[in-house]
Amino acid sequence: MILQQLVNGLSLGAVYAVFAVGFTLVFGVLNVLNLSQGAVFMWGAYVGLEAVRTLQLPLPAAMAVAVVAAGILGVVTEWLVFRPLQRRGAHRWMGMVGSLALARILIGAAQEVFGTQVVRYPDSALIDATIVIGAARFQGLQVVAFGVALAMVLALGILLKFTNFGRAIRTVAFDETVARLVGVPVGRVRVVTFFISGALAGGAGGLWSLLFQSVSPFMGDTILLKGLTVLILGGLGNVVGALVGGLLLGLVEVGSIVAVGSGFRDAVGFGLVLLILLTRPTGLFATREAKRA
Amino acid sequence: MSEFYYTYENVIDLCLLNAVLAFGCLLLLGVNLLSLATGGLMAVGAYLSIWLTMQERWPFGPALLAATLAGALAAAGLGALVLRLRGDYFAMATLAFTEVVRILALNWDPVTGGALGVFGIPKYTETWQLLLLLALVVYFVWALRRSALGDRMRAIAEDELAVTASGHDVARVKLALFTASGAIAGLGGALAAHLNSFVAPGDFGFLRSMDAVIAPVLGGVWNLLGAAIGAIILTALPEVLRFSAQLREVLIGAVTLLAILFLPTGIASLPRLLVRGRIAQ
Repeated sequence: MILQQLVNGLSLGAVYAVFAVGFTLVFGVLNVLNLSQGAVFMWGAYVGLEAVRTLQLPLPAAMAVAVVAAGILGVVTEWLVFRPLQRRGAHRWMGMVGSLALARILIGAAQEVFGTQVVRYPDSALIDATIVIGAARFQGLQVVAFGVALAMVLALGILLKFTNFGRAIRTVAFDETVARLVGVPVGRVRVVTFFISGALAGGAGGLWSLLFQSVSPFMGDTILLKGLTVLILGGLGNVVGALVGGLLLGLVEVGSIVAVGSGFRDAVGFGLVLLILLTRPTGLFATREAKRA
Repeated sequence: MSEFYYTYENVIDLCLLNAVLAFGCLLLLGVNLLSLATGGLMAVGAYLSIWLTMQERWPFGPALLAATLAGALAAAGLGALVLRLRGDYFAMATLAFTEVVRILALNWDPVTGGALGVFGIPKYTETWQLLLLLALVVYFVWALRRSALGDRMRAIAEDELAVTASGHDVARVKLALFTASGAIAGLGGALAAHLNSFVAPGDFGFLRSMDAVIAPVLGGVWNLLGAAIGAIILTALPEVLRFSAQLREVLIGAVTLLAILFLPTGIASLPRLLVRGRIAQ
């Protein structure tokens, strides 16, 4: 029973983590919340689904298509909303409002193109293996999703930590003026950051739609709120924090279904946020933010 | 004129209501606080007033007063806890409050009717009440901006540290403003509940709170009527675009985005820009 819940919680949490890591990466670089992230997640899910249904691609290829398409949407967000605002020196609220407006456009467009009904993957595309350990039964899909999610976050971690481009991203996140002074191409770093962030959102969308077998134009709203929760749990702009926070939220949610019933599941996450903000005002894993504040 | 009013009575009421809520958020934007607590505070006022009028048989007036006080109290309590948070952490904490209230409402069936909502709420809210309230709120904001407190608010928005260093209690100003905006949201929630005969927890969520903040940003934060103009556009536009259910969302998003990109000081600045353009020619 406990093992079962653990697997459920970890696979859910891994998807949260993938989404939130992309979310927090943009915050780190731009210091602005990109609220179109949920809509990009939803588009990633639809592109993956359509790649399987109409293009007849195998599942891994379809996921790759979804990730790239969502990454491009991320770049479009930067180009359409954040770059003009940044150039004008607009207030940071404008970025939030602008990206939310873009989300609205994307959601409306998805309704127009795909309809408002909940759709699912054809059964033939799925891995229907069930793994049984003792009394616990879980789907092979959950394990695969967990593995893929972890691989994505790990790949990002390696990119950030060990490559020159990763160093450039971290420099911009540390301080944009400093980055300019040492010759970092800030504009390009920003574009790539948005691509990575969008790609992660799209990947999370693909994994989510496989795990829960439902794709709808409104699926981005829930994950956006979850992403914000994880962002606070881990500390704004903290990539490792987002990973741990995502897994933690998944486990807490699954645990809370057992403890207080599914009706309160979403309240538990936000209750946790309030509690953490009151005791540790810059997140559980505050490092740089704390110094900056 | 009267024919226009009777045809669009509901839209007009909603415009007025959303304008009032937008001013509640404008108060906080004036000191650099982006609050997403509007939905949660509205829910407090709405459900209290529904319970008082429907179960306890209170008249509308006292119920409104109770909702206003409850909104102010809830905001004061929340503010005491979360106002020390910086920037986005404050916004997220207020969002967490709204979501927790919404989910509690979703599960507290005897009072809120759960996910199905409350039906058959008596319609007490009249257009003149909303109009009067909006006038009062506009006057309040106008008077506030001309007062010494208004100067202090501008200074806080400019440089909080400097204001603290010169011996002013920034925290108290913020708490007072947050409480005032809570009172407005509580009252607005009660009026919203008695506007249509139906209320569900989904009415008081993230999007409701976000719309209340977007309105002043869209309309223009520095113009006195900016918040009202933004709210009216955000409320009326969906009605104007009713001919297409899905394209409507795309168009509303596009209008908002274009306004954000090309009108840095809000839609309220549009007439002045046009006039200036004509003179320049």
